Amino acid sequence: MSERVDLSVDFAGLRLANPVFTASGTCGYADELGDFMDVNCLGGFTTKSITLKPRKGNPTPRIVETDAGMLNAIGLANIGLERFIEEKLPVLERMTPAVFVNVAGETIGEYVAVAERLATEQAVAGIELNISCPNVEKGGISFGTEPAQVREITAAVKKAAANRLLMVKLSPSVTDIAAIARAAVESGADALSLINTFTAMVVDIETRRPVLANRTGGLSGPAIKPIAVHLVNKVYREVTKDTGTPILGMGGIRTASDAIEFILAGASAVAIGTWSFIDPGCAAKIVEGLRSYCAAKDIANISKLVGSLEAGRNLAH
Amino acid sequence: MSQISSSSKKGVFSATVLANRQIGQRFHRLRLEFSADGARAFAQFKPGQFTQVDLSSAALPPEQDTPADLLDASRRELLLRRPFSFADVTAEGDKTFAELLYCVVGPATLRMTTLSSGDRVSIIGPLGNGFRILGDKKTALLVVGGMGAPPLQHLAKTLTSEHAEIEVVAFAGAKAASELPFEGRLDEISQQLGFSLPEFTKYGINSIVATDDGSAGYRGLVTDRLQQWLDEKSGLTPDSVIIYSCGPEAMLAKVAEIARDKGIDCQVSMERRMACGIGLCQSCAVECRVDDSSQTTYKLCCEDGPVFDGREVVFV
Repeated sequence: MSERVDLSVDFAGLRLANPVFTASGTCGYADELGDFMDVNCLGGFTTKSITLKPRKGNPTPRIVETDAGMLNAIGLANIGLERFIEEKLPVLERMTPAVFVNVAGETIGEYVAVAERLATEQAVAGIELNISCPNVEKGGISFGTEPAQVREITAAVKKAAANRLLMVKLSPSVTDIAAIARAAVESGADALSLINTFTAMVVDIETRRPVLANRTGGLSGPAIKPIAVHLVNKVYREVTKDTGTPILGMGGIRTASDAIEFILAGASAVAIGTWSFIDPGCAAKIVEGLRSYCAAKDIANISKLVGSLEAGRNLAH
Repeated sequence: MSQISSSSKKGVFSATVLANRQIGQRFHRLRLEFSADGARAFAQFKPGQFTQVDLSSAALPPEQDTPADLLDASRRELLLRRPFSFADVTAEGDKTFAELLYCVVGPATLRMTTLSSGDRVSIIGPLGNGFRILGDKKTALLVVGGMGAPPLQHLAKTLTSEHAEIEVVAFAGAKAASELPFEGRLDEISQQLGFSLPEFTKYGINSIVATDDGSAGYRGLVTDRLQQWLDEKSGLTPDSVIIYSCGPEAMLAKVAEIARDKGIDCQVSMERRMACGIGLCQSCAVECRVDDSSQTTYKLCCEDGPVFDGREVVFV
């Protein structure tokens, strides 16, 4: 049965071999995971954030472990647009997953310039607009917390890269994520990815200082998964179910069961983030786990599961 | 001139615990066996390379066996793997054996103490770039600070077995005798009698010990002892000497400064908090000078290091 399961999904008009991505910032620029799995088994790939100019990133410590999670404050360290195009795109071009390049910047002009350039590259299926990074002084999350700002940047980037899919990555650190999602969709977003990390802090009680040099960082990992599932479901019910906009769901996924929770809650595809640090081959295992689940449940096509939460109380527990 | 010890094919491997032996108040040695693909991968493990060990499924010791200062830490959940280098690696037939020397400092190493013979541990490696052995050197000085010992013990073995022409001297420092991660007697009398650290003696290498409180060896900083030793060896040609060092960053900074002042090559093994160890997370940044300019850039401890040239690092 399992070989007859169809894992392919339609994602804003793209036909993906399966609904599993690796999440931006946890899988390198291209084939860094290649020693641990066949990256071509993925449905999609989102690169590390790219900015117009190279960025050194924040001083260290940049990470700290927490219970069932971790904080990071990398600060969008990256090689910059030109080196990315020269060195990494040729590698991405040879890979079969749909490639979304995560784009960040300090000004709308920078986002537009990077998106415009990337839209001329064959290897790029879409752009993931990072308006949710909590770890930079300028840009990042500051574009993603006010609906008016979200409209402006989404429309500007969509105009500059009209021939590529635009996926807007949302922060959970907002009052109403559905309002942000609606603003993005109404301004031209073809897809949404959520959630980015939660702004958080860990204190060293010996030195009485925040552990991270950046003071705060983004919380990721299994700790945030139930909140992420809830927020995906909220955005699905309140916004995207009606508009048909696909959601790339993420936040603490480490097993196929976790991925299925997101899909049932309304995600058309899922991304594996922090867990790749612990088990760099886990995305491939999750693809196989989805296949087994569908086979066991007699589900011919996984896309049938998207947003298929049943109504009513759960009497199984 | 430099022989780059590039990383061999890395992967996730399962190792079997053969023994887990306490050698000091907080120090233990874990003996591991790799077979099949793991044996082949780790047979190529170079001194200074490292591994990422998953200890999340290891049990905690009973509360009464947990040091009081680690009780809070013992209640922490583990998510990430922990980086460790090896103190010794031996390939024998189709097996590779590794010695992991560790100090109990937190929730992961506390769990490590409960591993026993027959347990399996998931290990990613070999990772990073090891020490580079330069063919034109006649003297190699190994400068250890506290838990910086393992990669230099491994290097001591490689230098003496593969580069017998190089004279090796080891320096080991810590706050006190109890914080030296070595076996055997480390007190003052032993030092005065010329008793050397057995981990280095077994390779025919003399060792010089320094402790801040004088409870073992020379009283004072190991870097002062290194400086003094170099000052006394007036006949040394700087070009023919190399210093290899691993330990706390303040010590590495001083070692690098001494080396630079003397015109001696120096390689330091750096440590950073890291989530993955394989270049994905970008958290283990080490600030490095760009070609003697005032510009700096961040390199990654995991991929570009953990061994760096002492001249390039901007120490914290």
